[in-house]
Amino acid sequence: MPLPAKLRAVFQRRSDPKTLISVHSERLVVLVSILIVCLLGLPLWWTTTRVYRADLPTDQISRFTPTETLEIPLVFYIDSGSGSDSPLSPHSLSEIEKKATKLIDAQRPSYASNEWPVRYRPVVRHGSAPDIAGHYTLRVHTAKPGAPTSVEFSVGRSASVAVPSKRSATDTLAALISEIIAKEQSETRQSDSRALKYSPEYAITFTLLNEDPINGVTVDWDIEAAVDAYIKPFADMLHPLTKLSITSQVLHDAGPPPIKPVKSENQTILTPDMLTYFVNSPSWNLASTDPISPMLNFILYVPSLQSQPMNIMRKDNRLQTNAFLVSQWGGVAIANLPEQTSHPGSHIVLSRSQLQNYMGIFISQLRELIGIRKTIPLNSHPDSADSMDKITVHQATSTGISSWELDYLLRQWLINTRLNAITTLQSLTQLTESMQNMVVMDEIKTKVDESLNQLNSISHALYPKTNHLQACIHAARASSLAEDAFFDPSMVSLLYFPDQH
Amino acid sequence: MAAESETRKKVEGFFDKDDHTNNWAVLVCTSRFWFNYRHIANTMSMYRTVKRMGIPDSHIILMLADDVACNPRNSYPATVFDHPRKTTDLYGDNVEVDYRGYEVTVENFIRLLTGRVSADTPRNKRLLTDAKSNVFIYMTGHGGEDFLKFQDSEEINSYDIANAFEQMWEKQRYREILFVIDTCQANTMFSKFYSPNILSIGSSAKGENSYSYFHDYDLGVSVIDRFTYYNLEFFEKVDMASKKTMEDLVSVYNVSLLRSHPGVRTDLFGRRLADTYLTDFFGSVQNIELTAEAFPIGQPESL
Repeated sequence: MPLPAKLRAVFQRRSDPKTLISVHSERLVVLVSILIVCLLGLPLWWTTTRVYRADLPTDQISRFTPTETLEIPLVFYIDSGSGSDSPLSPHSLSEIEKKATKLIDAQRPSYASNEWPVRYRPVVRHGSAPDIAGHYTLRVHTAKPGAPTSVEFSVGRSASVAVPSKRSATDTLAALISEIIAKEQSETRQSDSRALKYSPEYAITFTLLNEDPINGVTVDWDIEAAVDAYIKPFADMLHPLTKLSITSQVLHDAGPPPIKPVKSENQTILTPDMLTYFVNSPSWNLASTDPISPMLNFILYVPSLQSQPMNIMRKDNRLQTNAFLVSQWGGVAIANLPEQTSHPGSHIVLSRSQLQNYMGIFISQLRELIGIRKTIPLNSHPDSADSMDKITVHQATSTGISSWELDYLLRQWLINTRLNAITTLQSLTQLTESMQNMVVMDEIKTKVDESLNQLNSISHALYPKTNHLQACIHAARASSLAEDAFFDPSMVSLLYFPDQH
Repeated sequence: MAAESETRKKVEGFFDKDDHTNNWAVLVCTSRFWFNYRHIANTMSMYRTVKRMGIPDSHIILMLADDVACNPRNSYPATVFDHPRKTTDLYGDNVEVDYRGYEVTVENFIRLLTGRVSADTPRNKRLLTDAKSNVFIYMTGHGGEDFLKFQDSEEINSYDIANAFEQMWEKQRYREILFVIDTCQANTMFSKFYSPNILSIGSSAKGENSYSYFHDYDLGVSVIDRFTYYNLEFFEKVDMASKKTMEDLVSVYNVSLLRSHPGVRTDLFGRRLADTYLTDFFGSVQNIELTAEAFPIGQPESL
């Protein structure tokens, strides 16, 4: 019987106890197949359920630490003009630089270990400054005998210095340069709680509020002409760094403010502590349609005829401007209409020239809200400067911001946005490292890389060729890219199997 | 003639309130369906309080998971009341609901807090706070130990909220947070916070329920919860210039009236309750500075 015999032979061979392998062959087959499934399957499962995480340059980001000081050079060109009395030699230029640097460093505020230090330093050259942010010309000339040592800052990036004799000018110039820089350096250290943070766009709204048109007058204003004439030049000066989007509205029946002004003989009075509640009326619609830009509201309030004139009193003195600023929000000015033209029922249109004074108030408030501190570059109070007996600072009446003030603003924005970019990137890496389940898309990596590029370009824009505008542009871009990456909607880690649920 | 620029000294009248410039409120009602009328009434009463105290609509994010005012079962349409006597209509005519109906989800709430909203989100749905903002967050609905139910279909965990607050702190999106929650076992919801400057108040302890208060026989539902009702009663006597503190608020909680033990968590909060004014969170803060003079714009330059 061949088949049964064959089978018996197979089984006999199978049950041949000679080799371990043959004894346990079935088990071995099972074990090996389980092993193969595990070895192939585990990596397959891991790769298919792994969260996609792009590689972020964490080591480059962590290289920014508070131990590195940000050095900002300011370049001063000494122009001593033509003339027989000795123009300043290269030796005296370097002497001025050394003296000024020493004076500035002596007054430099100290930084704690977790603060990000900034150091300003002067660079002194001969000649005339190019029209680049960060370069300033100091024109030195001899003062008339008996006249005080004085400096006159013009609207552009130059100043005119009068000294008794050009030969002894080095000390005076060194002291002047050091005062300008030391003042800014110490102000950088203090935070400004009134001003908004830098933003690439601001939404500015001018609102004309008429409290009571029914028993009073109806008002309107030629705001377009006024904005074109007075606000647009300001916006144009800031244009390379930030855009001011300007809108306006008229609220014809605004109603009274939440706080009742005090009625006195022939006026109504607002005291400073009442002003904190002035703007909170729910019926004043001051909302903005822009999704993210910070809002600044400037209100021109026309009180009802019975309440006019409405005056803000400070310690029994009438405040001349009848206006106040609200930190990080905007400003209010009260418009008391001239008595002759305002009788009930009339329609009053405020012309461009009538609006000039109010625009001046708003510009003054806008300057503070954007971050231009007062008295740039130096306080014109004569006692404040050791080097000069007389200081004159010209105001830019055509644009609302002088080049000295613009450069100051650029430097503040540079410092703050650079810091914001660094801390945002570091928060981002900390976040992605702490939440290993979070998806990190490629776009985020691209933004982070580009933000780092911009951060690294800042130092190139400061030294050797100084251009504060370019440096500020790099810092602003770095900050906005870092924020885009941090606030990317995909960074919300809600998976279907997070650990804690 | 040189245009002498005199020193523009700061005019007196500058009230600096410790580096805090604005207040925001996030009011969330997580329940839907007609029988959860009281949760919407809770949220609306907080909304009314916060508006009365001065926070403008642009700084309030109101999230209502359902619309009871215009519900077909509402026999007093377009109104929301918190008392059977119907003395105050909470809905009024000046309501701005930012997230409504099905938009109130856990994801939207977390996105709102962390700022990670999509690019086309309109302004009223964004929490545009900064390092100087105090944020009042109020949540109400059905909850349990370490969770709060959203829309009857999903839950938010106390860890989620804690993480969201930590991310807000990382990005400096708040100065101080007041977190008030009115649900069952509410105190568990703030037990997992770990970021600084958060003051939390909950309506009931772990294992306890929070109870509703008045039952309205016309509407057929309970119209308010006890915890929120007693808070409201306190606030109705307070106006925007009030000098009352959080200590005053917390001391009116009466365990026998509330029928639960409200909890206050202060270990993460930097200040004493008695030093914290109600207006620090509920009012609108405006730092004022009088403008000394106008800028001479448009005047001829005299160089």
